[in-house]
Amino acid sequence: MSKEILACTVNGDKQSSLIDPRDTLLEFLRDRLGLTGTKEGCSNGNCGSCTVIVDGQTLCSCLMFAAEAQECEITTVEGLATVEGFHEVQDALVRHGGTQCGFCTPGVLMSAVGLFNENPNPNEDEIRLAIAGNICRCTGYEKIVKALQDVTANGEVA
Amino acid sequence: MPEEFIQHANPKGSLETIGKRLPRIDAGKRVTGEAIYPADMHLPGMAIAKLKRSPHAHAKILSIDTTKALALDGVLAVVTAEDFPDLEPGTSVPMGQGSCDVWMVGQINMARHKVLWVGQPVAAVAAVDKHIAEQALELIEVHYEVLDAVFTMEDAQAETAPILHDSIRTSGLDAPINKPSNICSRTIFERGDCDTGVTSSHAVTEVSVSIDTAHQGYIEPQAVVAKYDREGLTTMWVSTQGHFTAELVTAKILGIPQSKIRVIPLEIGGGFGGKVFVHGEPVAAKLSEKSSKPIKLVFSREEVLQGGSGPTAAMQAKVTVGANSDGRINTLIAKVHVDAGGLPNMSPAIILQVLAALYQTPNLFLEGYDVVTNKPRTEAYRAPGGIQAAFAMEQAIDQMSEKLDMDPLNFRKKNFAVTGSIMPAGTPFPCIGVQEIAEAIAKHPCWTTPLEPGEMPRGRGLAFGYWRGTSMTSACHVTISGDGRPMFTLGSVDISGSSTAMAQVAAEQFQMPLQDVYVATGDSKSVGYTDIAAASRVTRTMASAVVDASQKALDELKIRAATLIQRMPSELTYDHGSFRTADVGGPSISSAEVMQSTLTQGAIVCHGISTDLPFGVEVGAHVCDVEVDEDTGQITVLRYTAFQDVGLAINPAAVEGQIEGSVVQGLGWAITEGFDYGDDGRLRNASLLDYRIPTALDVPSIETVLLQKPVPGVPYGLRGVGEVPIVPVAACVANAVYRATGARMTQMPMTPERVLTAIQANKTN
Repeated sequence: MSKEILACTVNGDKQSSLIDPRDTLLEFLRDRLGLTGTKEGCSNGNCGSCTVIVDGQTLCSCLMFAAEAQECEITTVEGLATVEGFHEVQDALVRHGGTQCGFCTPGVLMSAVGLFNENPNPNEDEIRLAIAGNICRCTGYEKIVKALQDVTANGEVA
Repeated sequence: MPEEFIQHANPKGSLETIGKRLPRIDAGKRVTGEAIYPADMHLPGMAIAKLKRSPHAHAKILSIDTTKALALDGVLAVVTAEDFPDLEPGTSVPMGQGSCDVWMVGQINMARHKVLWVGQPVAAVAAVDKHIAEQALELIEVHYEVLDAVFTMEDAQAETAPILHDSIRTSGLDAPINKPSNICSRTIFERGDCDTGVTSSHAVTEVSVSIDTAHQGYIEPQAVVAKYDREGLTTMWVSTQGHFTAELVTAKILGIPQSKIRVIPLEIGGGFGGKVFVHGEPVAAKLSEKSSKPIKLVFSREEVLQGGSGPTAAMQAKVTVGANSDGRINTLIAKVHVDAGGLPNMSPAIILQVLAALYQTPNLFLEGYDVVTNKPRTEAYRAPGGIQAAFAMEQAIDQMSEKLDMDPLNFRKKNFAVTGSIMPAGTPFPCIGVQEIAEAIAKHPCWTTPLEPGEMPRGRGLAFGYWRGTSMTSACHVTISGDGRPMFTLGSVDISGSSTAMAQVAAEQFQMPLQDVYVATGDSKSVGYTDIAAASRVTRTMASAVVDASQKALDELKIRAATLIQRMPSELTYDHGSFRTADVGGPSISSAEVMQSTLTQGAIVCHGISTDLPFGVEVGAHVCDVEVDEDTGQITVLRYTAFQDVGLAINPAAVEGQIEGSVVQGLGWAITEGFDYGDDGRLRNASLLDYRIPTALDVPSIETVLLQKPVPGVPYGLRGVGEVPIVPVAACVANAVYRATGARMTQMPMTPERVLTAIQANKTN
């Protein structure tokens, strides 16, 4: 199948890459860019492991064609930490034991970052709603929710 | 402080690192996306593999023609069962105190002659990309002779039922029948006289339940990368609960010596029992050999659910309890049927023992049957059989307490097994804090605070759970680095935060800060044989191995230190990284100085092995409040508290995490998760939309209460932790629903439809 060129920004870096029109955004990120932090758990938008932020919108990258991301700004889990350290949401998850097997973690983080971008002081219900699209089979959500409540308690989010 | 804690404590008699709530040592790579799972691997020239699966639930494979697939541009190799040696049924490899049935695992990986469930693999293809691989699957022509199939245990046991395996004769019958059967085995445990027990009882009660198959629901689908090299060595990067077992089994399925296979465990995105066996690893290895390319095989979610992995067993159980007027149980009768799926040997023995473990009774009759049906071979899921058994037993106990007009907690307290009382298999009940848990519940607000009335009926449920777990064998080794710090290589994969716990144990042993010890999992060629990461065994047995290796290494260090400072080793004491003499102002030398002076004279490498450690039996109890919508049948869990004797929590945050996750898995199976098979044996809810795992919105906050009663004779008194917290969940919810509505729940999951039916039936009666 003929290839086409996708130009977009991923974690602040401008990318121009040959893609297969059948590629999903998830496949583009993982297979073409090697950004394997974003996980594939179901390919149907049901588990949330592939959650990324596209132009400020939190979405499942398995449900979007790569070709639809033309000129878009994409943030993945690899774009959260800086040389100075973890993003506050990452730090909270580490401190509270909010990651176990780690497979759902990148998606949970992106949903949480999306939440805090829109609502810096969410309550527990709003936190649970924001991560309701991310299935975690290890934690029972308890320490994820506690971690995210701690982020709100600590105030400003980057 | 109990003896078991002090035994391995530092000279001050305290624990410094064990018992602390520390972040996982590998948390950083988990939150940055740097943790590598097999699906994340990329090797130069790597090809993609796909499996062709059976569309039939029961059929003979007449022929497989791969010519057209092989002719497709971009296809590199095709394999079928013909590419593997035809193993004799019964072929096995060692695993723990028992063995792993390699013939059975072989059938899970590639059907030979016959398919036994929808989704069983019949062929595999490797191609340059996944689109071509998928296209090639369509070109593989398989001719089947479709056979009648059975999907329920009732149908499988009928006189005229189609037989899955001509070789199976029911074992364990009083009078053996020399005729093929779908009933693989009968298991019984017996004591006293139940007939007399029932007739002499003041009260008798009975509960019959039926439980659907559920799935472990790990978020990472099965994945493997395999590379066959020019020297004939196959390297596999896997997501597994046991890389030594994966190596043993794969070598046997491929018919190659173990010297020609190396297994490297990567991160495992959840297993819960479902990643004990290999699912596709031997196939990927064979495709790599045939294509001379590295091969990546990743299951889709639909494949995981539709026959590509082993879900857990459906079960039917009938429990009869008889009690005297003083509230003591005098009879327990249980009959259990376990749905093994398409291949035999889901022995009900453990399920029966777990079902009856917590209560004393003079008269006991437990009977279990292992039945095959045309559905995926079931595999383990967190305390396999435990939640099903407790769903029956703990409802019967609840019902009996009501019948006797006794408080459900007090009724249990009166009947609990005590240390040394005789269990179903004749063994003594272990030392564990059952009564202590009951005391803790009696004082806790979750039990003492009256249930606030709501707009809809509310109820409070209580259930206990028991799980035995096992010990098996764990191995590690420690090397002392040039600066005196210990570097541990473990034989176990980390499915529960166990590596962090081992770093804590190592830090405790060497009396050093956590960051001064190195801990990593070794591959199958770099560390000693270690059994699977399962059965609540890794942390406790590997801790014992780490203690063993540490003590040996400290002894060797001491000998070197004594030589350097010209004293006898017996004169030296190790204290926080240094060896000192007892005399004031006497010489001392640090481990760093010892290694600085002696490293080039030879490494200190010490092995630690733990085998046949006393069992770390687990007991937990749960209390929950639910609200039931009598118009829709919807259960809402309002409050949930889990009590557990954990022996000693090396890392309380990790222990809580195990319990919280376990409870929510249990709530999933209790309320929404069940496999829905159609009349053709096809799973109708093979997606995570239709197979409904709880989300953060479906569950309340889970409160945990940890009690610590050490296991005698085990370093630090460690118990198993990770399995028992799923055991009481469904019974706890069912008992709460009963208290709310008066309707006894006999089916699991307790979907709105089933709850509604039960409520309506109760009202009619």
